[in-house]
Amino acid sequence: MADEAALKALLLQGLAGDDAAHRAFLTEAAAMLRAYFRNRLRGRAEDAEDLVQETLVALHTRRDSYDANYPLTAWLYAIARYRLIDFLRRAKHRAHASLDGIDVGEVDPEYGASDAKRDIGVLLGKLPEKQRTAIRMVKLEEKSVRETAEATGLTESDIKISIHRGLKTLMRLMAGEQTT
Amino acid sequence: MKTDDLIDALARGAGPAERSHWRRNLAITLLAGLIAAAALVAIGLEVRPDIGAARMPIMFKAMFAAAAAAIVLPLTVQLMKPGRPLGWRIGAILLFLGLCALATIVALMGEMPERRWEAWMGGAMPWCVVLIPLLAAPAAVLLTLLMRAFAPTRLTLAGAAIGALSGGVGAMAYAMYCPVDSVAFVTTWYALGIAVSAALGAVLVSRFLRW
Repeated sequence: MADEAALKALLLQGLAGDDAAHRAFLTEAAAMLRAYFRNRLRGRAEDAEDLVQETLVALHTRRDSYDANYPLTAWLYAIARYRLIDFLRRAKHRAHASLDGIDVGEVDPEYGASDAKRDIGVLLGKLPEKQRTAIRMVKLEEKSVRETAEATGLTESDIKISIHRGLKTLMRLMAGEQTT
Repeated sequence: MKTDDLIDALARGAGPAERSHWRRNLAITLLAGLIAAAALVAIGLEVRPDIGAARMPIMFKAMFAAAAAAIVLPLTVQLMKPGRPLGWRIGAILLFLGLCALATIVALMGEMPERRWEAWMGGAMPWCVVLIPLLAAPAAVLLTLLMRAFAPTRLTLAGAAIGALSGGVGAMAYAMYCPVDSVAFVTTWYALGIAVSAALGAVLVSRFLRW
């Protein structure tokens, strides 16, 4: 697992526009988040994986809230902790997702990615059409922003804004879908 | 979707992050909140008729309110973003409150004993405790919208900070109406009005900050 300095370098490169570095950052972050959530939701690996995915989208869409003058891990875990608290609050609110089932005794040393419970593809369908199309073409069908702009008749900045807004909404939908 | 696929999708075509103009946006937000509060005073409360003759005490009160807002500002900025240390920014607020208490006592000591009560209470019910939070509302709404674009993770504190900052902005506008010019009145009841705004922010604003 990467240390603070290496992880910070990856995020900053990503912020500057290096997609490969951003991908590496998210991969490292996913491993840290998985350990964090698994440790706190023992025996609920699927919920933990849901939270990992939700938090990854949060880290991505809010990455401009990181300031290089402050420790990266403090930023990352503050967001992870907030997502966890939000999850627990929702679970409490919905009563039927009882927290009694948490098995504190179980040790889970693997921390490999398990399947998440929810299907992001279904959630994408709930986005407004413009955002859905932009995300589908750029993020899933691997088209460039320019190609997508040409195909849809929108401007490139319009596509970028649609993706950004769509992902923010997607994170909220992910949060809303949990514990159902 | 597998987590690895999600990571691929997020990173694909991500490009450079948008540069955030949060300083400019924050300045515009505060200015808009102040203008809205001043408009509310002009429409709903009426500017005091002796505004020309009383410009010194009005300036003093507006400066006090501006100082309170300035003291809360660094804390608010830290709470907009995840994982920022708060440290001295909370200390600064406590120090400011201590100075308010000290100023109140010194000012009251300077009054004749039989006039102290009036100097402290302003001769009537201190309405500013109610009116400052009301005038803070526009700034609070705008600041909430601004903060939602960021990623606050301590919502109660962030709500309180927004409330206090808006309270300072509201109090600046309130100074144009407020007929009481005693120092002890301002350092007590303006500070309390801002504190009430902070408490309301902690309860109400925090609910709208969830993301």
